[in-house]
Amino acid sequence: MNRETTEYNYAWMIWSILDHAAKTYDGSPKEYRDLLDLVPHFDSVLDVFLKQGEPGRLFLKLIAEYTENCLHALQRGKKTCLTSFSVATPILYAFDIVPVCLEAYTVLGTIVFKRGTSQFLDHCCELGFTETSCSAQRGALGAFLANLAVRPDFIVCDSPGVCDSNANSFAFASAYLDIPFYQLNYPSTLTGKRAETYHRQDFRNMIGFLEEQTGTTLDQDRLAEIVCETKRQDELICELTEYNRLIPTPVPALYDLMVYGAKTMMNGTKQLTELLEVMVKKVRDNAISAIAGSTSTREKARALLCYIGHYTTDARFWNWMDKNDISILGSILCTFWQDSASYAEGRSDEGYHIKDTDLDAMIDSLADQMSRMPMIKSIRGPYDAPNMWLEDSIGMARLLHADFIAYFSTVGCRNTWGSVKLLSRDLEAQGIPSLLLFVDAFDDRVASWESITGRMEEFIHVRGITKHSHTRYTA
Amino acid sequence: MISAMKEIAGTLNNTHVQDWKKNGGHVIGYPCTYVPEEIMHAAKILPFRLRGIGTKNLSIGDTYFGPVICSFPKCVLQLAGESGYSFLDGAIMVNGCDSMRRLDECWRKAGEDYPGTLPGFFHYFGVPHKVTDYSLAWFIDEIKGLIIHIEDHFQIEITKESLHKSIRLFNESRKLLQRLDEIRIRETVPITGEDALCLVIAGFAMPREAYNKALKEIIDEIDKSQDIMDGKKRLMLAGSVNDDPDFVRLIEESGAVVVTDALCYGSKSYVDLTDEDEEPIASLARRYLSHSFCPRMFGCYKQRLGYIRQRIEKARVDGVILQNIRFCDLHGSENGIFERDLEAQGIPCMRMEREYGPLVETGRIRMRIDAFMERIG
Repeated sequence: MNRETTEYNYAWMIWSILDHAAKTYDGSPKEYRDLLDLVPHFDSVLDVFLKQGEPGRLFLKLIAEYTENCLHALQRGKKTCLTSFSVATPILYAFDIVPVCLEAYTVLGTIVFKRGTSQFLDHCCELGFTETSCSAQRGALGAFLANLAVRPDFIVCDSPGVCDSNANSFAFASAYLDIPFYQLNYPSTLTGKRAETYHRQDFRNMIGFLEEQTGTTLDQDRLAEIVCETKRQDELICELTEYNRLIPTPVPALYDLMVYGAKTMMNGTKQLTELLEVMVKKVRDNAISAIAGSTSTREKARALLCYIGHYTTDARFWNWMDKNDISILGSILCTFWQDSASYAEGRSDEGYHIKDTDLDAMIDSLADQMSRMPMIKSIRGPYDAPNMWLEDSIGMARLLHADFIAYFSTVGCRNTWGSVKLLSRDLEAQGIPSLLLFVDAFDDRVASWESITGRMEEFIHVRGITKHSHTRYTA
Repeated sequence: MISAMKEIAGTLNNTHVQDWKKNGGHVIGYPCTYVPEEIMHAAKILPFRLRGIGTKNLSIGDTYFGPVICSFPKCVLQLAGESGYSFLDGAIMVNGCDSMRRLDECWRKAGEDYPGTLPGFFHYFGVPHKVTDYSLAWFIDEIKGLIIHIEDHFQIEITKESLHKSIRLFNESRKLLQRLDEIRIRETVPITGEDALCLVIAGFAMPREAYNKALKEIIDEIDKSQDIMDGKKRLMLAGSVNDDPDFVRLIEESGAVVVTDALCYGSKSYVDLTDEDEEPIASLARRYLSHSFCPRMFGCYKQRLGYIRQRIEKARVDGVILQNIRFCDLHGSENGIFERDLEAQGIPCMRMEREYGPLVETGRIRMRIDAFMERIG
């Protein structure tokens, strides 16, 4: 790691940038436009979000607040828990624990910094990680291991049984930092009494772990409040998914990132509810005007990401899609499997239902929610098993009228790379064009952005995606 | 007699398997030490641990698996696609790691494209990644499910008595191998690490009764053999799966003897016994799930470090080689912390990433081992 890098606290830098970014739209539009010239390193990424208007501004405020909470947790006497993006945060907030989501920090650094997180990615390898470990964790973990971020009090991850690479990073962090570790472990099946019992027992065990770490007991009133908030958030997210079924979709491409980004960090908080309400309002307005959510208000093609997005510099992936009028209908990270979601219709045993009748019901509901978080639900078992990746991908593609499915990933993803060729073959057999990209979503050194856009353009051209797409439906 | 074991270790469809099949016996392949072999034995089926030896290319493996996957399951799939595993009547897939668990789908799909290469009995065996009362209950159910599937498919009954008998038999193997361990770590070492590995591998590839008998005789013979140390360094080998005696020979050619290990084709497969008095399924579940030797059991680093330290001390090794197969992040990353913690205690370590399959990087590996030997010399 460069000496210069070690001079600055990564978590502080992220917070400081976001905090300032969130305030830039508080002035007049002219002030904002003039300001962009003064921040040449951040103007592009700032504008990607703020051109969304109020939702973009609120999103920046939300993540600024989240990073502020993480940064100052220790001073405020709060415990910090290093978590994975797939850990549903309501239970942590119910304990007044600050969830420090590793992947969120990686995404933030990757998007915001011109140089990405390469220094930290490599620092992990210097400390013992393999070069092929997943960059989604390594990107920020390097900073945490180098004591250049928040010092977590303990770790909770829920990827064992789903993603070795992810779980391994957290296990490594626990061993390296010598801090307590709890893993939620998932069996390869999702439904059925046996799996449900396992999920709930494991979740209850985790509550015991959190009680031990915090020295407190679960506050039932606080939990009830958070559970209510979660219910409302689920309704709003389901509404956004409903709007994505329209042709053209009135949902801006960036909402894909905003929904799961915000939910990952602030699931169960009032701030997330406020953000989602504003997002839904914007989308509803677009729908009433029968326009696409893109900047041009047109839609040339509809893309579904069967896995994750591409996070390098300036959120340029979402910007590129927007500029090319390609709607992003969602990714594996957007599907939360509330039983009221349209994609859960007729698949009731796969969805969860939030009940707030009593403490046990609330705990069981959150356990069910946790066991259906993005990735946790659909890549835990064989890709072609019921309820798993293939079925979900085809279901979403049909439901949302996707023109094609694209696979972006990391080179550390043993799980999906182990079966994505099979998935692609099956999708093509179903008449769904699919594009596999050998890239690293967090590290441009694996494949340059130019090569990625080149491949996407070629695919869209060769497969006649825009030619045969839903352009004809555009208002 | 060791040469016979070496022959078995070096041949997939070895003479024992051939004889077994000629006599109408069934064979089930499995890839990982988290599968209770005793179940198959109790069903009068030969358990055969899947390997990827003798692959010439990965044309089939690379067709189904993605590019960043460990070459071990790819080699297994390659052999399967080339009918190298045509002697199998069944296969059990395990979520030992993500690469390994995807062998389930890749083999099934390859079986559609290469008719006849997918065994008639194909079973997915889900092993939890933690040890708790409820994960143990899950594992017990998995074992019961496996038993029912085997009984239905092969039309055979697996009784409690037969399980008890198999448990005793496999424990006997483990005790014999533990005795071999004691011999290997003496001041005067009468067996190379290469030969010791062959003895372990053979156990996974031949009928257990014959194995125990042969192993006992071989160990008695080794016990009386001459010292081979001759000033060589004492090494420990740890990390990813290694069933390649050539790899160990390469290490030993640099002036060392591998006197102990922390490998799943090694001590991790026999260091603990199954309780012979308990109800057999519960006892098997406890033994197979509770040994947290593999980094797939997340959050058990300290236990594994303790295990390695204990073996280092007992065997008085001069250094440790921590190897991992490329893309094996579980072992690869944990090796990084092992190196930190062991070096801090003054134990020289060398981390090495390598490819599984035919040794194609002999020069690079030899150079690295030579450098390590120079360091500890």
